[in-house]
This record gives sequence, structure tokens and C-alpha cells, in this order.
Amino acid sequence: MRKMVLLFLIGALWGGSFDRNCIPCHRKEGVSLRLTFMNALLIYSGEHNMKAGLKYFLRHPSRETSVMGEEYFRTHRLKAPLTLPERELDEALDEYWERYKVIGRLR
Amino acid sequence: MLRSERKSLRRFLVLYMLLMLGLFALGSLLYYRSQEQVMLLQTKSRLMDYAAEQIRRLKRLHEHFPQQNRYPRDPRFRSAIYDLEYVKIFSTLRDGRVDFLGDIYSVGDVIHYVKILDNYYLGAKYLFVEVPRDRSWQQAVLGRIALAGTVLGILLALLGYSLARLFVRPMRQSIRLLDDFIHDTTHELNTPLSSILANIEMIDPAAMKEGDRRRLERIGVAARTVSTLYEDLKFLTLERHRPVRDERFSLDRLLKERLDYFEVMLRSKQLELRTDIAPVTIRADRRLLARLIDNLLSNAIKYNRRGGRIEVSLRPGSLRIADTGVGIDEEALEQIFERYRRFDSSEGGFGLGLDIVKRIADRYGFVIDIRSRKGEGTEITLSWKAEEE
Repeated sequence: MRKMVLLFLIGALWGGSFDRNCIPCHRKEGVSLRLTFMNALLIYSGEHNMKAGLKYFLRHPSRETSVMGEEYFRTHRLKAPLTLPERELDEALDEYWERYKVIGRLR
Repeated sequence: MLRSERKSLRRFLVLYMLLMLGLFALGSLLYYRSQEQVMLLQTKSRLMDYAAEQIRRLKRLHEHFPQQNRYPRDPRFRSAIYDLEYVKIFSTLRDGRVDFLGDIYSVGDVIHYVKILDNYYLGAKYLFVEVPRDRSWQQAVLGRIALAGTVLGILLALLGYSLARLFVRPMRQSIRLLDDFIHDTTHELNTPLSSILANIEMIDPAAMKEGDRRRLERIGVAARTVSTLYEDLKFLTLERHRPVRDERFSLDRLLKERLDYFEVMLRSKQLELRTDIAPVTIRADRRLLARLIDNLLSNAIKYNRRGGRIEVSLRPGSLRIADTGVGIDEEALEQIFERYRRFDSSEGGFGLGLDIVKRIADRYGFVIDIRSRKGEGTEITLSWKAEEE
């Protein structure tokens, strides 16, 4: 347990924007980033479209623009608008796409 | 059938057949396309079923990705998925030329069906399903087109030929009328003309006064002109079907005889005659070659200017007759051998001479070379292979 906390702290301090800004919050809320990605893929399809859609949602969250569906909001609250600087948010989204994308991972 | 008539008929038939061929090609193309569409529509329902199955598999894969990452394959078809931004996610297509707006289409040896997904499983908006193209319909369609083409081709050719004959009928009637007229007139010309020429020959010019002798000479020139015309008419109408009697004879001797015959006419027009005649033996019908030479000489005299010059040269394999006459326009040279074609209405005649020359030359394979300049003169050279001599 102590080891995991240590690794998390190292990631938070030394990792990229995605590691620092997305993972801690999602872990705390218990929302799988993979699940979020696959849900977003179902709606946005392409890379640029998805990044633009997620960016808009993160800046202006609403139930209507969320990729999680009505069921999710029975147990979770709507997140607060993100105030992360533009460059950091773009970096985080780029990393998110690279980490979970489907292209190049099918065989 | 006359040469000009044959030419008109041939031109019409070529144009007609080209037009019909174009129309048939267009019709065939439309028929082929429509049959291809029918085949594609028949294939489409099968491909729609394949697409529905593949979508169900994609859905399962989407739910279990990345634990499962093997793209679903089916032995009956190949497929590919593309995202909304036309980026390929995965493909097993044999032919990668995809058309996102195509619905169903043929490309190379395959058929592609495009399905737009409602839910973008694995991020896929476009699913392409590919099956090999069935060629059996194509062979059947091409067979039908070939059969229809053959039957239609024969029918249209017959129709075209009948139409062409119908169109040239007025021309043929006019020509026949003229031929008949000439035929009838020729009969009537023979007796008086022979009588005139015989009587001229019997008169002794030495016993005549100078003025009378010149008058007699003019009568002789006129009678010979009519005689040449008569010989042409007789050749075309009465002797056309006479069997040809080819024999070996001295062409230079014949040429000299014909020059002697035209001597009076040359003198009356004060023409200077320059000859360069080498001994030449040829195998041909003497009567036909006499007509050929007469016509060339007669034209050279008739269309020459008073006091002009005529050059006659005979060499093994060639006969050249040049004059210093009115000449012919370059554009008109093409039609010079057509019957009844005359280029100078100031002189008499029916325009038969060069038609006869052409017929005889064609018969013996002589090549005719005509060079002419308006106002300067005309030069006609007949050439033949020396071994024919």
C-alpha cells in the first residue's frame, strides 16, 4: 500500500499533464478512464472530433454533453468546470488519446 | 456504277455506319451500366446482412477491448472500418480504394458496400464490406450485346445500303439520261462525220487558192475536233463492252501517228511542238492507248494559248505531255477525272476526256501525275513499270 502511494506521488509530481491532472481525480471519483474513452469513442469517433468534444465538456460540463449517460449520474455528481490552462489541457487530451486509442491496436 | 456515284455511296455508308456504331456503342454502354446496377442491387441485400453481422461483432469487440483485440473476420467477406475523419482503424480489404459516398460500387475485381454506423463502435463510423465481383453476369451481358450488335449491324448495313441507293438515285437518273442522250447522238454523228473527213482528205490543197486552203484547213481542224469527241463518245457508249485485245506494239510509233493526226490542229493554233521520243514497246490494247494519247494531246491543244508550246516526251516507263495553257486550280485537281467535269467553259466538250484517260490508265496500272498552275500550264506524266513494256 505504501508502495502504491509512493508511485502515485512520483507520477503526480514527475508525470505528464494527463498523469497530474486527470488520473488523480478519476481515481478519486472511481471512474475508469478506459470506460470514459470507449464511451467517448462511441460518440465522437475520430481523434480531433473527440478531443474537441471532451475539451468542450471539461470546460462546460453538463449532463447533456457528458459521454457517461443518465445511469452514471445516479451515483455520481457532475464535475466542476475545469480551469486548467489551455496548453496543459491539450497535452492531457493528446496523451489520453495516445494511451487508449484503438487505431494500431487491433490485430 | 460511276466512280462519283460509288464515291458518294461509300462516303454515305461510312458516315452512316460510324453514326450507327456510335449510337450502338452508347446504347450498349447504357445497357451494360444498367445491368451492372441490377447486379449490384442483387448483391446489396446479401452485403447488408453481412454488414449487420459485422456490426454485432464490432459491438462485442468494443465492449471487450482491449482484453480482446482480434478484429472479427468472416470467410464470406472482407471488411474495413474508418472513423469519422476518414482515418482507417483496421482493414482486411483486398482493394483499398474506398469511396465514402459510394453506397455500393465496383472497384477492380471486388464490390464494396458502405454502411454508416449509428454507434461508432471502436470509433468506426464507416464499415466497408467487400466481396469478389461475380463475372458471370458480365459474360452474359457482353454475349447479349455482341449478338444484338451482329444482328443490328447486318440489318443497319442493309438499311444503310438501301437508303444510300435511294439517295443517289436522282444523280444516277441524271447521269443515265445524259448517257442515253450521248448514246443516241453518237449513232447519228458517225455517218456525216466520216463523210466530211473523207471528202477533206480527197481535196488537193495544192490546187487551191491560199484563202481557200486556209478555210479548208479550218474545216479540217473542226472536223478532227468533232472526230475526237466522237471517238470518246463511241468509246464510252458503244465500245465499252468490246473485248480488250492486248498485244505488243511500238508505243513511239503510235505516239508519232497521233501527233501527225493532230498536226493540223497544232498548226492552226500556232503551237510549238517539242518532242523527245525514245523507242518504247508496250503490251496493251492499241485502240485504248490511242484514245488515251488522243485525249491528252487534245486537251493540251484545246486549253493551250495561241502561240504556246507543247512538250511530248516518251521514255521507257513514262509518257509526259506538258502544255503552256490555262492550267487548273490546285483544289480542282482532285476532281479532274470525274466524268462531265470541265474546268474551262470557254472550250467545247463534254468533260469525258480525262475520265477515259483515268479508266485506261487504271486498267494498265499506269500512275498519273498531274502538276498544274493556273495561267502557266499543265504537265501530265504517266508512268508504268518498265518490265510491263
